Amino acid sequence: MNDILNQISLCVEAGKINKSSPYPPGMKDQDGADELSKKALQQGFKPDEILEKALIPAMANVGNKFSRKEIYVPQMLMSAKAMSGAMIHLKPFFQSGETRRKGTFIIGTVTGDLHDIGKNLVSMMVEGGGWEVIDLGVDVSSEKFLNALKEKPDAAVGLSALLTTTMENMKMIVSEIKSKHKDTKILVGGAPVTHDYCKKIGADFYSPDPQGAVNFLNRMRLSI
Amino acid sequence: MSTSKDRLIASLNHRQPDKIPVDIGSTSVTGIHVLAIENLRKYYGLDYHPVRLIEPYQMLGEVEDDLAEILHLDVAGIPAKNSLFGFPNENWKEFRTFWGQTLIVPGKFITEVDPNGDLIIFPEGDKTVGPSGKMPKAGYFFDSIIRQEPFIEEELNPIDNIEEFQLLTNDDLTYWSDNIRKLKDSGKGVIANFGGTGLGDIALVPAPFLKHPKGIRDITEWYLSTLMRPDYIKFIFEKQVEIALENFRRLFEVIGNDIDAVFLCGTDFGTQTSSFCSTETFDELYLPWYKKMTDWIHEHTTWKTFKHSCGAVEPFMDSFIRAGIDIINPVQINASGMDPKTLKQKYGEKLVFWGGGIDTQKVLPFGTPSQVEAQVIELCDIFSKDGGFVFNTIHNIQANVPVENIVAIFTGLEKVNGS
Repeated sequence: MNDILNQISLCVEAGKINKSSPYPPGMKDQDGADELSKKALQQGFKPDEILEKALIPAMANVGNKFSRKEIYVPQMLMSAKAMSGAMIHLKPFFQSGETRRKGTFIIGTVTGDLHDIGKNLVSMMVEGGGWEVIDLGVDVSSEKFLNALKEKPDAAVGLSALLTTTMENMKMIVSEIKSKHKDTKILVGGAPVTHDYCKKIGADFYSPDPQGAVNFLNRMRLSI
Repeated sequence: MSTSKDRLIASLNHRQPDKIPVDIGSTSVTGIHVLAIENLRKYYGLDYHPVRLIEPYQMLGEVEDDLAEILHLDVAGIPAKNSLFGFPNENWKEFRTFWGQTLIVPGKFITEVDPNGDLIIFPEGDKTVGPSGKMPKAGYFFDSIIRQEPFIEEELNPIDNIEEFQLLTNDDLTYWSDNIRKLKDSGKGVIANFGGTGLGDIALVPAPFLKHPKGIRDITEWYLSTLMRPDYIKFIFEKQVEIALENFRRLFEVIGNDIDAVFLCGTDFGTQTSSFCSTETFDELYLPWYKKMTDWIHEHTTWKTFKHSCGAVEPFMDSFIRAGIDIINPVQINASGMDPKTLKQKYGEKLVFWGGGIDTQKVLPFGTPSQVEAQVIELCDIFSKDGGFVFNTIHNIQANVPVENIVAIFTGLEKVNGS
């Protein structure tokens, strides 16, 4: 791989956002994902090359390390922040349509539930996997999910719930989405959610960790 | 015949008590939602009157003596003087919830319904500042509203994050000594939460009790700070523990050994399948500060130290022991690696398991009463050998738990403990 793409990848994996970021201490005063992505574009690299050859593999490594318990929530958040530092430079190309992403993923924490750490981690990892992410936030009703699907009918949907008291709302939202968009793939997650619960409420996929969601979306895309 | 207090003390000292001590409602992590209390009172045919809200953030209610007697509860708790929204439990008034329940709430439980239909609450009951908590209209308790002020990295000052840690005043000491004295002849075991000893508890970082929180108050930013700004975090812990030690000294002067356990910290290190940091990070960033507090307590008092951490924390148990933790809660047996038999076998001689009595994510809310009863009996059998066990559900009993399932807990306990 080209040196600069390799460096961007290393920065994202290590969580080096930009030159002034103090983390990781071993990369002090070095360029971060922010500066290097800008330089790569200036050197003529295409945005999709940066995305596909640097950011996606780096975030996949981060996700796999998290699944293997080699890194933890703070390191994953740092990597996601570094990725966002790179994405700032790529987003104009996505918006203009010059660079296409793999598809759209609509995500939110379900009605009655205000918890967002897990939902945010999934959101960041899916974006880092090369998908456009529409994050509807927390306490999201079925109506809001359906409105977002009106705009992006081919999107997959992710529902998060931390509480046993809000899992019932997850069931209701799955049922309402499926009644209007039977082919929409719905992913569910959150501490009390299980594979069995996912099957019981008619959702399509459950993952105990964010990388599982990215892998499912990628497999789904390949099978279309 | 043993009193509840004898039973608790025996178990906390790893001696076999006459019965397994039972706690429901003594702390903010072993409590019961106001709706579940009302349902239980109805079930047992107790007098109807509105349940008193004693912990507004999670909407936990008071377990009154009549209910405690039916349930054979052994532990009484004394909450911190001010709630998580910064007001004391006094000047009671009625309040009607979204789910149609009438409660008795503290006078400064000042709320408003926002344009979205959610309930917002104000720190110290002061509506001249922004709200610090929100309960969604489809929810059953509050969560913090994050009020992170924008900051410039170079201007961050850890002093801003220690506003909430203060030396106890004479009024505070009177509150503790009065409340502990009231319980002294009750025969119950006593646990107190003095406050100010939680190290980076993510429920406290946003400071819903402060009118104008400064410093790092955003949850994500706090987690990032454990990596990016470890010296900032260490400074907070150092100052916080300095204040805590002086407060312990002042408290011990007025209450002596009249409490059996002290709630030290509610910081969660576990997630459902993993953890928020490595054990190496725990040992480096957290352990020395826990140790300073527990060393003082063990040197000067008979109080046992209570540490709460949800999730998959089996890898942390050795560190908790080295940190001087005596009691671990809630013992989330359905998280990865938290097999009850393994926990008891590996750590049961050193740690008291206060919790782990019934799976509150699946069996208690969604199982049948007979499944609940069977699991209670099975887990009591595993955890209770040679003491070192206080029965509690894994974390608070939530609003949606069917009353028959809560009753089944006590049917199971009766089979283990006798009626």
